[in-house]
Amino acid sequence: MTTPSHPASAAAAGGINSLSDTDRTRNPNSESSTLQSYQHLFRPGFVHRRLYVDEQIFHDELRYLYGRTWLYIAHESELPQPNDFITRRVGGRPLIITRSAEGKIHALFNRCTHRAAIVCREPRGNAKGFICGYHAWTFNNEGHCTSVPLRQGYGKTFTLASTNLQHVARLDSYRGFIFASYSADVPSLSEHLGAAARLIDQWLDRGEKEPVVVRSGSMPFLVHANWKTIYDNAGDGYHPPFSHESMLKMFARRYGDVDMNYYGSDFDKSPMYSKNLGNGHTFLDQRPEMHKLSAWKRQHVMPGYEAMEKALIERFGETRALAMLDTATGSGMNLNIFPNLLIIGNQIQMPEPLAANKTQLTWFATTREGAPEEINAIRMRMQEDFPSFGEVDDSANFEACQEGMAYVPEMEWIDIRRHHDTEVGTPDPADHLWREPMSSDLHMRTYWQRWQELMNAGATQALKARGESS
Amino acid sequence: MSKKHATGTTQFDLGFYDRMAALLEKWKHLGEIPVDQIPSREVIDEITRLLYLEARLLDQHRLREWLALFSADGAYWIPADVDYRDPRHTIAWEFNDRRRMEERVERLETGQAYSQIPPTRTVHLLSNIEVMLAEDDTLHALCNFHIQTHRGHDTQSRCGWCGYVLRKENGHWKIMLKRVNLFDADLPQGNLSFTL
Ligand code: FES
Ligand SMILES: [Fe+2]
Repeated sequence: MTTPSHPASAAAAGGINSLSDTDRTRNPNSESSTLQSYQHLFRPGFVHRRLYVDEQIFHDELRYLYGRTWLYIAHESELPQPNDFITRRVGGRPLIITRSAEGKIHALFNRCTHRAAIVCREPRGNAKGFICGYHAWTFNNEGHCTSVPLRQGYGKTFTLASTNLQHVARLDSYRGFIFASYSADVPSLSEHLGAAARLIDQWLDRGEKEPVVVRSGSMPFLVHANWKTIYDNAGDGYHPPFSHESMLKMFARRYGDVDMNYYGSDFDKSPMYSKNLGNGHTFLDQRPEMHKLSAWKRQHVMPGYEAMEKALIERFGETRALAMLDTATGSGMNLNIFPNLLIIGNQIQMPEPLAANKTQLTWFATTREGAPEEINAIRMRMQEDFPSFGEVDDSANFEACQEGMAYVPEMEWIDIRRHHDTEVGTPDPADHLWREPMSSDLHMRTYWQRWQELMNAGATQALKARGESS
Repeated sequence: MSKKHATGTTQFDLGFYDRMAALLEKWKHLGEIPVDQIPSREVIDEITRLLYLEARLLDQHRLREWLALFSADGAYWIPADVDYRDPRHTIAWEFNDRRRMEERVERLETGQAYSQIPPTRTVHLLSNIEVMLAEDDTLHALCNFHIQTHRGHDTQSRCGWCGYVLRKENGHWKIMLKRVNLFDADLPQGNLSFTL
């Protein structure tokens, strides 16, 4: 048996890692059970297909999971100037995220307090306030209602303050990453991030530590799959040599022993690992291979590889130029902060659930403020590389999984048991966090445990509220 | 690391990006094409035939022949924005130099590129073709496109406009740049792993 510091193996009753006869015998297809509990949808090492295809569970997730935990909503650099705003859906909710004239960040529901119309219909801009297009109720960028036409029609007791736009319940940020919670009943952001915060630090503090800027556009992928079909993959260290064989083969043929070639043999023996950070967050660390020597030198080429390297060496000398290029290459980190922030390479991904079988996965590109132009150009061409040659095949596989889950009710279970029973996991000597070999399904077991905590608590609370109101 | 050097590939140095910025500026503000920049009828015919040939090769998945239409310093570009933003600090769906275009084709040829198993079926329709003389003996060609696609259970259409920079080499027009401007380039895209 594993040590107690292995949270995903803690035998939470009915969890993925324990088994009782009631779990075995309960009918997972009975819809009425949804509100009470999801426990019958889990078996040790397996999760039920309904978790990925069921519309009711999807709607429950929007309320109990996305409605009751911290969500990543934006990066502060997306709002560089006073009065800048962006609009975006996060966890289903349309938001207006603003920076006030004083520089303070606000997150408002983009929903008119009058008849519910979406107030701001532009993706981004700079404005002191917003006029709803329907009856012209007007709000400033802190959410205060500043004008209601023909106000006398609402009677003498009416106040503008009663019709302010609604703020999210909690708003906080960590080193530029802005998080919101739609419920006030959540622990502090730092408690929520826990061990993940230190890895955000490591991601930010690479190389010359210029501030990360998220204003270089994005690649929004529309994937016909459940958000968790995609989330599974964010920590799936098993698939790279197989899903991405075409890319690895082509690069190896052309350029020999370049990046990711370390997946060529039994990579579970490599120093790369998968780690449980707690609270559903996980980490895949490829740095022990990728950054063993020079990540840049080991990198396969991208447009501008030779020209920019030459220019930088001329300007900064070889040592400094190569160090800068190493940082531009990619972090070797896959940091998954449950449920909607995935930091991969030099990109920030946000998976946004659209329907039980539809997700928008947005890859935000990042530059470094004040870095040489050559470095940022290399970062752009490098960040196009994997989406173009790898993510496309991942997406095809996500959609293939979704189809199999949706259309074969005779086969109910999804396998997430890799390294569950091999007993090769061990606490990291440095921080005592549980780690397993690279190809483990530890990521899935970890986030599913958090999923159950949030969903069961949400369902219980909803049941209680229903009881009180009847 | 000599294995990494390919001869003749576009440099993608800062000078290249300056030229791209100038090109975007020109295309962004393009109005009526000045009479003295309109090439001869024969040249317009040659370019039109080249664009139609390219469309046919793509629809028939003849990617090696498609590659041969590009110059050794050719580039293939699908922006992810609709604002003519500077590619030095803006991500694109694709911004390939010639070498990357070859990698693209070679990857598909492995038979293990799952996003193209089965391959996306396409029909390229071109219209609004305009050709104009540009600096350094190059030509610019603009056209609107509509690509009807089908893969899996999904029939979709993609449209937008293409901007080409072309140069005559040994009596043949070669593509130095193909910029595919999806009209919804900044919005969620499904499978874009076929060649547009
Ligand atoms: S719905 Fe917004 S003013 Fe009426
Ligand atoms: Fe992948």
